[in-house]
Order: sequence, then structure tokens, then C-alpha cells
Amino acid sequence: MIVDINFVGLIIASIMASAVPLILASCGELITERSGVLNLGVEGMMIIGAISGFALMTVTGSLIIAVFGAMLAGVLISTIFAFLTQTLITNHVATGLALTIFGIGISAMIGKNFVGIPGKEFPVLFEGLKDTIPLLSPILFGHSIVFYFAFTLPFMTSYFLKKTKIGLIVRAVGDSPESASNQGINVRLVRYACILYGGAMCGLAGAYLSMIYTPQWIENMTGGRGWIALALVVFSTWNPIKILIGAMIFGGLTIIQFHMQAIGVRIPVQFLTALPYIVTIIVLVVISRDSRKIRLSTPSSLGKSFHKDN
Amino acid sequence: MNTNLKISNVTKIYPGCVANDDVSLEFNSGKIYALLGENGAGKSTLVKILSGVVIPDEGKIYLNKNILKLNSPSDAKKNDIGMVFQHFNLFETLSVFENLIIDSDEQRENLKEKIDTIMKKYNFSVDLDVPVLNLSAGQKQKVEIIRCLIRNPKVLIMDEPTSVLTEQETSELFLSLKKFSEEGILIIYITHKLKEVMQLCDEVAVMRRGKLVSVSQINNENIESLANKMVGQNLKTIKKTKEKTSSDQLIKITNLNYTSEDPFETNLVDINFSLNRGECLGIAGISGNGQSELFQVLSGEIISNKNSIEFNKNFIGDLNPQERREYLMAFSPEDRLEQAAIPQMAIFENVALNNFKSSNFFNNGLINESKIKEHSKKIISEFNVNTDNIDLKSQFLSGGNLQKLIIGRELITSPDLLICFNPTWGLDVGAINYIHETLIKINEQNKSIILISTDTDELLKLSDKITVIHRGKLSKIMNAEDVTSEKLGILMGGGN
Repeated sequence: MIVDINFVGLIIASIMASAVPLILASCGELITERSGVLNLGVEGMMIIGAISGFALMTVTGSLIIAVFGAMLAGVLISTIFAFLTQTLITNHVATGLALTIFGIGISAMIGKNFVGIPGKEFPVLFEGLKDTIPLLSPILFGHSIVFYFAFTLPFMTSYFLKKTKIGLIVRAVGDSPESASNQGINVRLVRYACILYGGAMCGLAGAYLSMIYTPQWIENMTGGRGWIALALVVFSTWNPIKILIGAMIFGGLTIIQFHMQAIGVRIPVQFLTALPYIVTIIVLVVISRDSRKIRLSTPSSLGKSFHKDN
Repeated sequence: MNTNLKISNVTKIYPGCVANDDVSLEFNSGKIYALLGENGAGKSTLVKILSGVVIPDEGKIYLNKNILKLNSPSDAKKNDIGMVFQHFNLFETLSVFENLIIDSDEQRENLKEKIDTIMKKYNFSVDLDVPVLNLSAGQKQKVEIIRCLIRNPKVLIMDEPTSVLTEQETSELFLSLKKFSEEGILIIYITHKLKEVMQLCDEVAVMRRGKLVSVSQINNENIESLANKMVGQNLKTIKKTKEKTSSDQLIKITNLNYTSEDPFETNLVDINFSLNRGECLGIAGISGNGQSELFQVLSGEIISNKNSIEFNKNFIGDLNPQERREYLMAFSPEDRLEQAAIPQMAIFENVALNNFKSSNFFNNGLINESKIKEHSKKIISEFNVNTDNIDLKSQFLSGGNLQKLIIGRELITSPDLLICFNPTWGLDVGAINYIHETLIKINEQNKSIILISTDTDELLKLSDKITVIHRGKLSKIMNAEDVTSEKLGILMGGGN
């Protein structure tokens, strides 16, 4: 049997494409969590991004407005979360869950009018180079700008956290909001900013799904990807590079199990569908076993409300 | 240039308590000032006001005759007031350098140079690249001090700085503080330790219940006069009368080891000791050297090898705390509100918590409230807990009353051995005296105590035998009469 080397390249490219929304949402949530805020509303923010992007694209016809509009929608819905948890000091977990339920509900309501409408073609970059290098060409070229952004994001996130002063402040707030506040850092402001940034990235992840990955609106189309993104953040031990690895494994297994089902491998479908979830978590747990590093990268104040007493 | 800091008629009221009641004070550079008072006297509130963490309800602060607006910690920093907090204000997971650069406006290289100069000048040595959580308490404090010095402060406030230091580290700190003072930095030193005031300071202000009670030159004072001002009454001194010790062995620990999964806990290595009836074994050490692990192993929160603990001729190393209580052991953990009591539960409910089996508090799984309440009332009256309301949530008891309740709850079942961990930590002098008297009394009743404490004075007062824990290892067991606090200090720091 001769395997076309470009076919392998195409499979890898499709795995990467399916990893994009996970990378975007996880890297956004990672920043939020590094500041000590646990936002379980990722799924809700993604689906809001998905419907907003699709709706804006259909109504305005402009892809740029649609993409930025989806990010803005993510920001807006995360502002609700930020206001509740940071200003009214509500519980992070309960508020995040409410946000997800709210997001799914409202997206279904808005989405009624957009079911069955075909999407638009999203422009791709470097299409001319598609046949230049065997194997690598399909992986490297001919993707949307969001795709390229997603694959540089983990590195930028890592650089931001380790090398920049603002990144340092975010980590400090997550480590000890009390100390940060005593140092004159405005904890609430930092946390607001991190929550809103997380919202923007989740909005973008949703828009990628409804505008680029499967260009159409289907109710509940995020299909649990928000929860996987959350799991990736935790099991990667708040390390953006490991998020990239985890997202690739998850995407890879999802694609491969589709193919296995198609070929007719005699393994129960339910098991195959569950496989990516289990394997991704096992792999991340195994590669993150250094408890010293876990302690150093875990935001100590995660999920705890902070209010300054005066 | 001279620095003059003036506090004028400052008042701060919290619900149910006047933390600072019309306090006025004046400080001048070149001197070291002590601010002395018991826990809850209002010292911390006052320095928090000076560092911008707390905003006063009334009153003004002047620096060199100019009025200061301190609405946030950054205002204090801008006005060259530096503060080293009692509970360190460091980011544990960040490196030392990251901790220092975070509130500095300088470039990396400039800052490094500046830190180097400071460390050379004052003979500090701290590795800048390790995460803060790997540092000892003394080193953490140096990081805090460096952080203040980077800003060339005019005023440096130290809040109870020696509570986590060894004797040697304390004398190093004092040398540095004297040097800072000679260089013109105004130093305000907050403490409740009288010895330190006499050793270090030039002037002393005493606070009691939010009020300033006296300001005086140190030359006109001695330890007794300051103690009486601080407490507001003449203190009786309690002393243990040394009686014949029995040779009846109660507990024996043999080759006890504990290896933790958590790299930030301390492993216990080859713990061996034995204790006779009627004796008190004091275990000294700087916090974080394995005390909490040792307490957990002894109480059964961490289970060990069955044969490693022999209690009253039974091997009980593999039993949990509840089962150990049935063999007449009792425990008073370090953290009163986290480990010993449940803050949101009523006093009587907390009383029932350590008596699931060996009592008639429960009938067929139902709570026998009247029995428990009766029992609670007995504890409250016998152990001097200052409340009538046993339905009160335990979080509303003061530290001293809560500790009395906990010790009472443990002792009323008449155990053979009480294991306590920092039983007087953070209590006022009156409550400390009461707890000490109680502990001496149970020794007199031929019952034994294992006292794990970071307070060497307490250990020297109460113990018959003393050992020191350092990095999870015990020193040899010494007779308390042969031990001085200097000797303990050396052992606590890892010396011989």
C-alpha cells in the first residue's frame, strides 16, 4: 500500500485545525486563572462568540467585523462574570456555571434565525505555496489567520508570563492577592483585565468554530469544547506549551477515532468517542508529575474571592 | 537630613472595637522607637495606618511638618515609608528577584546593581534566582528589608519581626537595624517582647486597648515596669515546682520516619524519644522544621508503622486520632480555628466533636443535645471560658477563650497524655498565664504532656525535658535545668 505523503500532511493539518479553538480558549482561561480567578464559563463564552461571529457575518457581510464582534461579545459576557465575582464578590464556581448555562441558552435563542444559512468562505494565507514542499506544505500553508495566531499564542503567553512586567504582576496577584494589594497593586483591576482577556479569547475560539472550522450555525455547536479547554488548563498545570501538546493530542485522537469508525474497526463507538478525553488527561497528568513545578505554577489563590478590608 | 514623623489624634474604630483611640506620637530620625503592646492593643492597626493599608477614621499624619495623605500602600511608598510586615508580604512562587522588581520602576540591570550594593553593604546573602518558598524565614525577612531599602526610605517600620527568627538571626537583624538608624533612617519597631525593647530601642511607647498609655526613654524603664504598663496590672509569675519524676514510662517512639509526598513539607527522620508519667517534654524549633508533621504523626492524622509508637504498653502507630483518644491521648492542634474547632459551629457542637464514641452524647445516631450542653457548661466553668452562651459560634470567642475551651474539652476526659502545639500562640498575657497554670497542674496530677512550641521561654518554663527539632530531626533529649535559651537558639539554627 502506498501512502501519499501529502495525505499524511493533510491529516496533520486537520488535527491542528481541530486543536485551534481549544488552544485559544485555554490560553485565554490560563491568563484568567493565573490571576487567581476560576471562570467555569468558558463553554458559555465560546458559544456566545460562535453565534455572534456567525450572526454578524451574515448581517454585515464583513468578516473583520464578525471576528472582532465575536471577541467583543466574549468580552461583554465576561464583564458580567467580572462584575459579579470581583465587584459583588460572588462565588467563582457558581457564577461561572451560571455563565455557561446563560450563554448556551441565549445563543440558542439568537441562533434560531440563523439555522440552515450557509457560511462564507474565510480567506486563507499562503495558498500559492501549497504544493511546494511535500508533507510540510499542507501543514504550514493555506490556513486562516486565526489558525496562525492560535499556534503562536501559547509561546506569546509563555513569554508574557515569564518575561514581562505585566505578566509578573498577573502571577503575583494569583499567588497572593493580599501581598499584591499591600504592594499597591490594584488587584481588582488586574483581575478584571484578565477575565476580559479570557472572554475575548473564548469569543475568538467560538467564532473560529462557526466561521472557519464548520462555517454554519448549529445549536450547541461548541459541544463541550469549553470544558475540555478548562481541563487542559488544569491538567497542563497552567503551562501554555503543555496546553498546545494537550490540544494536539485531543485533536489528533478525535480525528483518528473518526477515521477508525469510518474504516469499521470493531471497537464500540462510545469507547472511541470517549478515548480522546481520557487519553489527553492521562498524558497531561503523566508529563506534569513534577510536584515542585506544579507548586510553582499553580495560582495559590485560584477561585478564592478577594476583598480588601479597611 | 532629619526626619520627623508625627501622628496626631488618630482614631480607628472597627465594629465592636476601638482599635486606635486618639493616639498622638512623634518620632525623630537617629533613634529606634519601640511600639509595645499585647495582641489586640492596636499597634498593628497604627502601623497599617502609617503604611497606607488602613485608612483612619480621624486624625492626621505629618512627615517633616507636611501633612501626609495615605490612602493606599503606594502613597506610603511614595513618601518613603517602608514597612516589613509580620506575615511576610512576598509572593511565594516568584523568584526573589521577581519579588523585588515587581514594585520597582527601575531597569533590570540598574536594580540588580542596586541590590548587590545593598547586600554587600549590610552583609546579606540571598540567592536572587530561587523561588521565595525555598527560603528560610530569616532570608524572607531580608528580602522584605531589601525591598524597602531599594527605595531609600526615610522611615522603616518593622512589625513583630523576630517572631519567626532564631536567636542568632535576631541579633543579626538588630545589628542591621542599628546600622540603618545610624544612617539616618527612622526606625519604628513593633513588638510585645520586652527583652527586645530593652536590647534595641531608645524610646518606647506602650499601647493598651487602643490607647497610648506611656512614652518614655528606655533608660528610665526596666522589664517589670514595661510589663506592668503593657498589661495594666501587676503580673504574678508562675513557676513550675520541680517534683520527683516518676520512672513509669508512658509513651515510647521508636525509629519513627515520615516521608512526605509534598516537597514543601518536612520529612521526619529517625524520631526516638520516651516520656514518663507526670513529665512534660518540650520540643523547640523554628516553625517549618517538621513540627506540624510531628504533631500529625503523634496525633494519628498521619498514620505510621504500628510498632513505632508504644503508648501505655500498646502499639498504636497505625491508629487514627479517634482510636488514639480511646487509649487516653488528647490533642490540641496549632491552628485553633482551622484544626481544633469548626468556626461556624456552636460551642457545644464543637465540644461534642472529639467525643464520638467514648461518651453518651449520641443515642442511636441522634444527638443528645441536653447531655452535650450540660457537659459544655461544665467545661466552661471549670476552665474559665469567659462566656455564658454555649450556642455561640466558636469563631466569636477570643483566641484565649477558644484555647481554654479546646484544652478544657481535651482535659475533661482525663487523658494520660496531652499533645499540644503552640498552645499560647497569639494569646494575651492573662490567657497565657492561665494555660501555663493548667499545663503545670496536669503534670502534677501525674499526667504527661508533649509540648511542641516555637516559644523558648514557654518551653523553659514548663518542660522537664527538652529537645529541638531541626529539619525533621530531633536533637538529643536534655534535662530542662541544663538548658539555656542561647543553647536552644544554637540547636534551632542547626548548630551543635
